[in-house]
Amino acid sequence: MEFNVLVGGEAGQGMFSVEMELSELLSRLHYHFFATKNYMSRIRGGHNFHMVRIAGDPVHALSGDPWDMIIALDSETEQYHKTDLSVSGVFLSPGQVKEMEQVARERFGGVTATNTMLVGLILAAIGCPQDKFSGIVGISSNPDHLSAGFEFARRWGVAGRYPIAPKAPAHCKFDGNQALALGALLGGCQFMAGYPMTPATSIMHYISTVALNHPVHFEQAEDEISAINMALGASYAGLRSLVATSGGGFALMQEGISLAGMTETPLVVIVAQRPGPATGLPTRTEQGDLNFVLHAGHGEFPRAIYAPGSLHEAMILARKSFHVADGCQTPVFILTDQYLADSVQMMIEEITSEIIRREYGSFDSSYNRYRLTASGLSPLACPGAGDALVRVDSDEHDEEGKITEDLGLRTRMVEKRLKKSDFLKKETVLPTFTGDPGSDVIVINWGSNKLIVEEAVRRIAGGGVRTGALHFSQVYPLTQDMVKPFNLKDKRIISVENNATGQFAGLLKRELGISVDHQILKYNGECFTVKELFQTLKKYLS
Amino acid sequence: MIARKESAWCPGCGNFPIRDVLESVLQELPGPANKVVLTSGIGQAAKMPHYLEVNYFNGLHGRALPLAVGIKLARPDLTVIAYSGDGCNYGEGGNHFIHTIRRRLDITILTSNNQVYGLTKGQSSPTTDRGVKNLLDPQGSENIPLNPVSLAITMGAPFVARGFAGEKDHLKSVIREAILFKGTALVDVLQPCVTFNRINTYGWYRERVYTLDKPAKNRYEALKLADAWDTKIPIGVLFRDDSARSRELKTLFGKSITKEAVEQMVCTKCVMMR
Repeated sequence: MEFNVLVGGEAGQGMFSVEMELSELLSRLHYHFFATKNYMSRIRGGHNFHMVRIAGDPVHALSGDPWDMIIALDSETEQYHKTDLSVSGVFLSPGQVKEMEQVARERFGGVTATNTMLVGLILAAIGCPQDKFSGIVGISSNPDHLSAGFEFARRWGVAGRYPIAPKAPAHCKFDGNQALALGALLGGCQFMAGYPMTPATSIMHYISTVALNHPVHFEQAEDEISAINMALGASYAGLRSLVATSGGGFALMQEGISLAGMTETPLVVIVAQRPGPATGLPTRTEQGDLNFVLHAGHGEFPRAIYAPGSLHEAMILARKSFHVADGCQTPVFILTDQYLADSVQMMIEEITSEIIRREYGSFDSSYNRYRLTASGLSPLACPGAGDALVRVDSDEHDEEGKITEDLGLRTRMVEKRLKKSDFLKKETVLPTFTGDPGSDVIVINWGSNKLIVEEAVRRIAGGGVRTGALHFSQVYPLTQDMVKPFNLKDKRIISVENNATGQFAGLLKRELGISVDHQILKYNGECFTVKELFQTLKKYLS
Repeated sequence: MIARKESAWCPGCGNFPIRDVLESVLQELPGPANKVVLTSGIGQAAKMPHYLEVNYFNGLHGRALPLAVGIKLARPDLTVIAYSGDGCNYGEGGNHFIHTIRRRLDITILTSNNQVYGLTKGQSSPTTDRGVKNLLDPQGSENIPLNPVSLAITMGAPFVARGFAGEKDHLKSVIREAILFKGTALVDVLQPCVTFNRINTYGWYRERVYTLDKPAKNRYEALKLADAWDTKIPIGVLFRDDSARSRELKTLFGKSITKEAVEQMVCTKCVMMR
């Protein structure tokens, strides 16, 4: 049993608040839910809609099934979405919302109470007992406003119409960016510099709030070029450092990526993808920047790219990124997207709260920042902590860090930097398989599509067709060891990607010689729904 | 002094006296030498840190300043000096120059200003005078030259000075004062380029420069000094505001967010604004 509701209206009409309050209450009341949003690049007006799926079992994707309830704060919601209402679905017209606003004004002194009343109405629809939320402390929703929503639900015959049992165990509730920010803090991140850019901005909001009371600093830079250079300066000076941006901002950061590679300065870079080229669709989703991140920065140096598929992975990989960036003394990337950034989900998995930190050895004045070693890794020191002078240079340099044009030394330094990729091999994050290991068909995916694909594959398996899904949360480097257990060469492979050219399929071919048989691609700026993926997969499987 | 062959600079380059001055200023600074960090960008001047015994981050063209900002924010205990040429600090890094001043950090910005691009072999720089012919401006530069000291004064920099590579003792006292000043300090150093700038030579400057006894009494007076160029060029501290306060920075290095703090945050609300 599940309940799918869409709340649509103009930006500024309060849908954000409805989603925020509703997800807070659902979480506190132990309902399984998934919430995401589709919004325009503007502050007021336009047409935005928020989608919430509430269920008796864990859900981590949009179902794509017809809406059980549509709440239309404007006429466009009716125009665009009413055709997707289920036969027995409830449509709350702008007129009905006006009625609620009238009550909000009369009884609570303002229309903003309508938001909480709508939350109450939705809770009533899923059969939540009205007395249940009175016992919850610390919620921002006003109980009287919620009760008024219940009254409307009863008056319009909606109350208890879609009964859902609250069955969620102990959990945390995050959006993707929050999970990344927390992961970064667990990874010992103490410095972030950034220039606001959707959909990465809320990572900055989060870190800057944390910085108020903790040994962490956020600096708003004048541009992304400055942001990445500040972060490199801070990392050189001794702090684990982070930048986050989207494609356009990342384009500006590229010279800094290359600088990190050359100076061997550890840095974590979050690229929250949105559809390009150029400004593209600023508030929508895509997986179009894999190739960009893969090739970002001139010259040759090692890198790792992670693409988390869930909140848990976002947190674990953000934490790990700092360990790997330090360990390999190179930039490490986290490739996420608007869909994961903006989706609010529950996380049941336990996470470690151990904070990993950068530790420095002690060095005397004979210290050389770029000492040639068998592993390619030279001991890292920071300035002003001992007798060592720490000299780093964007030019080709000698072991001391002084500029050189000794071409023999140049060759050794190139080899030194590339040798460090051995460290990445030790730290490989293996892909995860779900479904039937004996299946002839395997659905390959990466990044934020993970849980959508998994649910679609489960639905197919429910129909008696054997299938499995293989998800990559480390998209680079790719090694044969990562895919060996899955016998991909003997299987029919279908790839699922949120882009137009199948960038990951291309990478699989190039790096591992694996050819994909069918590609399912979506690039209109929206995520896949379980239903559409299920139907497309079924076509290939029948 | 460094041996000629150890350096990438031309014989007679104005950067040599600046290097000697910097070396002796750094040696005489109070506090341990290993607490000083130089950042630099790219260009002939930006090679400066390689010729000094000092911590340095020689970064990319135009980016000496954001590197310095990041280092200072991370480690307020370090003395941070950003050193580069006019092309680096005012051209490629012009935006950073404006915004670094706005940040109110205790950073010293030193510029070797030779009014020409040296390493790329003689093109106009942001400070090239109007009408001066260069490789890419064969008709003569048609742009208004950027005046770094008036820009810094206008942006609210609390310490703005001009030095001349041909007046070593004076330059030393100015740079020393800039580094010891608690706040953002700019020293624009007039630096003859003996290879590509045949106009602004040692002789040209010697005819014009005169040393200031004391800074101007306010920003408006300082702007008048900053504007003088044609016949009389004042060198020294143009403006100094001891009442200006730098940002308070907290200690981050060696500290860590606690496990308990993160556990508590796990329960906080989502930030839903993008």
